Amino acid sequence: MPREAWLIRPGGLVPYSEANDTMHRLAERRLAGEIPDTVILLEHPPVFTAGRRARPDELKWSPEAVAARGAEVHRIDRGGAFTFHGPGQLVGYPILDLGPRPDVVRFLRRLEEVVIRAAGDLGVELHRREDVQTGVWAGDDKVCAIGVRLMRARVTLHGFAVNCEPDLSWFDGIVACGLPRNGVTSLSLVAGHTITVDDLRPPIELHLADVFDLELEPADEPAPALAAGR
Amino acid sequence: MTSVQMPQLGETIVEGTILKWLKKEGDAVERDEPLFEISTDKVDTEVPSPVAGTVTKILVEEGKTVPVGTELMQIDDGTAGGVGDAGSGSASATAPGTSEIPRASESPSPGVTDTSSEPTPPPLTAVPTGAAAAPLPDRGPRSQILSPLVRRLAEEHDLDLSRVQGSGTGGRITKKDVEAVIVAGGTQPAPAAAAHPSAVQAPALSPMLAGAGEEIVPLTHIRKAIAQHMLGSLQSSARAWTMVEVNVENLVRLRERSKETFQEKFGAKLTYLPFVVRATCDALLGYPMVNAELRGDDLVVRHFVNMGIAVSYDAGLIVPVIRGADSMNVPGLARAIADLATRARAHQLKPDEVQGSTFTITNPGPYGSVASVPIISQPNSGILSLDAIQKRPVVIDDAIAIRHIVNVSMSWDHRVMDGEVATRFLARVKQNLESWDFGELLGV
Repeated sequence: MPREAWLIRPGGLVPYSEANDTMHRLAERRLAGEIPDTVILLEHPPVFTAGRRARPDELKWSPEAVAARGAEVHRIDRGGAFTFHGPGQLVGYPILDLGPRPDVVRFLRRLEEVVIRAAGDLGVELHRREDVQTGVWAGDDKVCAIGVRLMRARVTLHGFAVNCEPDLSWFDGIVACGLPRNGVTSLSLVAGHTITVDDLRPPIELHLADVFDLELEPADEPAPALAAGR
Repeated sequence: MTSVQMPQLGETIVEGTILKWLKKEGDAVERDEPLFEISTDKVDTEVPSPVAGTVTKILVEEGKTVPVGTELMQIDDGTAGGVGDAGSGSASATAPGTSEIPRASESPSPGVTDTSSEPTPPPLTAVPTGAAAAPLPDRGPRSQILSPLVRRLAEEHDLDLSRVQGSGTGGRITKKDVEAVIVAGGTQPAPAAAAHPSAVQAPALSPMLAGAGEEIVPLTHIRKAIAQHMLGSLQSSARAWTMVEVNVENLVRLRERSKETFQEKFGAKLTYLPFVVRATCDALLGYPMVNAELRGDDLVVRHFVNMGIAVSYDAGLIVPVIRGADSMNVPGLARAIADLATRARAHQLKPDEVQGSTFTITNPGPYGSVASVPIISQPNSGILSLDAIQKRPVVIDDAIAIRHIVNVSMSWDHRVMDGEVATRFLARVKQNLESWDFGELLGV
C-alpha cells in the first residue's frame, strides 16, 4: 500500500536559497509529523554548492569570475564536495522520514535506482560506481550527483541532480564532487540527442513513486516561496 | 544514566566522525534535542538526545573518527544505566538492535557507570573485545568487523574469509574484496579493481607525480571532448587540403565604408565572416558533395546548409551552428554569428545549438595565421579556413598593384569528393567574394 506523499514542482528557475530554506522548513515539519513525505523537483539558476568536505581550492574560478558568469556560491550543510546546479539539470529534493532506524545507504541506493530506471526509460543506460562514489554514471563520467544529509538522524535533506542538457563547461569551475580524475557528462551527450528536464521529469516521478512506494500528489498547500519561483 | 553511541546509519557504514558537539558537560538537554553532529562517508546528520537529562560526560572529542557503537557521551536521566534508545522510541542515537542485546555489564547499581560505558557494537559485527567475535583468525580488531553483506556474500559463495585480504580501513574486508575473490574464481585474492567489470572503464590511473618545474593539470571535460573528437576525425577520414588566394579589396573597402552605418542599422558588428559564410553557402548549394555526409555506404547529400562556426572561448573550442544559413542574408548572418559567439563565451548555448552542422568555417585570421590546415569536424566532409587579410603586391593586367588578399583554404574528405570538386568549390567561393556587389547585399 503506497504512502501518500507530496510532490512540489515549481516552474522556472528557483533560486538556491529559496529552495534550501523551503526544504529545511518542510523537513522540520516532516519531523514534527505535520506533513507527509515530500519530493521537490526543480531547476536552479547557475549555482555552485559546497558541502562540508569541499576544499576552497576545489573552486577553481575566482569569486569575481563566478559572479561575472552570473552564478552564486553557497556553502551548505550537506556532506560532500563542490557541485554545480543550473538550467538543464533536474534537481530532486526528497524529504522522507527514514524512521527511527534509518538505513541511509539503502536510501542512497534507491535514489540511484530511480535515476537509473528513469534514464533507462529514455534509452540511456547508466550504472553505479560504488568503487568510486555514490551517484549515477556513464562510464567514468558522472551524470547524476547525489548528496544527502539527515535531519535529527531521520528525515532526508538535499538529494540528487541529473544533468539533462546543462552547459557542462560550468563544471570546469570546480573539482566536481572532489574527484579530479572523473568527468561529468549529461544524458543528452550520452544519448547523442537532446534530453530535456521536461523529458526526464515524468519517468523520475514514476520511479520515485515505484521505488519508494509513494503515491505522489500535488501538495495540499503549495510552498509559497517556491511557487513564486521565476 | 544513559549512554549515547555512534549510531549506525546504514548497514555498511562502520564508522563516523564527530563533527561538532552541540552540548557540553553539565548542559541540560531535552529529549530529541540535537546533541552533536556526525559525518560518515555517506551522510552527515545531527543526533538527537534519546532522553531528557543532564550531560555528565563527553568521551570523544570533535574531529575523532570512531567505530559505530562507540560510546560518545553519557546523560544523567535519573535512571540506573543503559543504552540510549532503550524504550525511548528514538533509537537513532544508537545502533539498530542494540537494545535487544542483553549485556553482562549492565548493573543495577548507579555507581557502576564505568563498565556500562564499554562500546556497544552493532549486532552481527564482531566486538573488539572478543566477547561475541566471529570465528575468524585474529588480524587485529578492525579486520574482524564484517558487514552483513560481506558475511552473506561469503556464505553464498562458500568462501573462507580468513584467506581474503581486506582493503578497508584497518584491513577490514569489504564487499569489493569479496567480490574480487568471487570474480577470480573464489580462490585467489584479486586486486580490488577487478571487481568492476565495466567495459568502458579506463585503465587504472597510477598517481601522477610532478617533476621539478612541472605541474599536473587534469584535463577539463571540454579538453577531453575536443581531444577525442579531433583524434577520431583524423583516424576516420581521408583528409586532403586545398587553398586559393582571394582578392578582397572591394570587400575591405566596403566594410571600411559601411561598418558604422551597419552597426547602427542592424545592431551587430560588421566583420568579414558573414560575407564569407554567404559566399560559402552559395558554393555549397552549387557543389552539394562538399556539404554531404558519409554514412556507412551511403552519402547524405543536403540541399540546405547548417553552418558550424568555430568559436574559441575560455574553456576551449566550441562550434555553434547557424541553421538554415543558406537562406539568410549578410545582416542576418552577422547577427546570428554575433549572438552565437556571445552566448558561447557566456556558456549559454543549448546542446542542439552545437549539433547538426553540415559544414564548418574556422576563422584563425584575426590571430595572424596566413595558412591553416584544420581538422574536419565530423560528420562534415569539409572545413573552410579564413586566414588573415593582408596587403600584398599582386599582378593585375601585367602591372604590380597593392591589394588586400586573403588565403581561403579547405580541409576536405577524399572519401567523399576528389580534388576537382574541392577546387571548383573553392574557386566558386573565390569568385563570389571577388565579384559580388556586397553593397547591394548589405542594403547600404
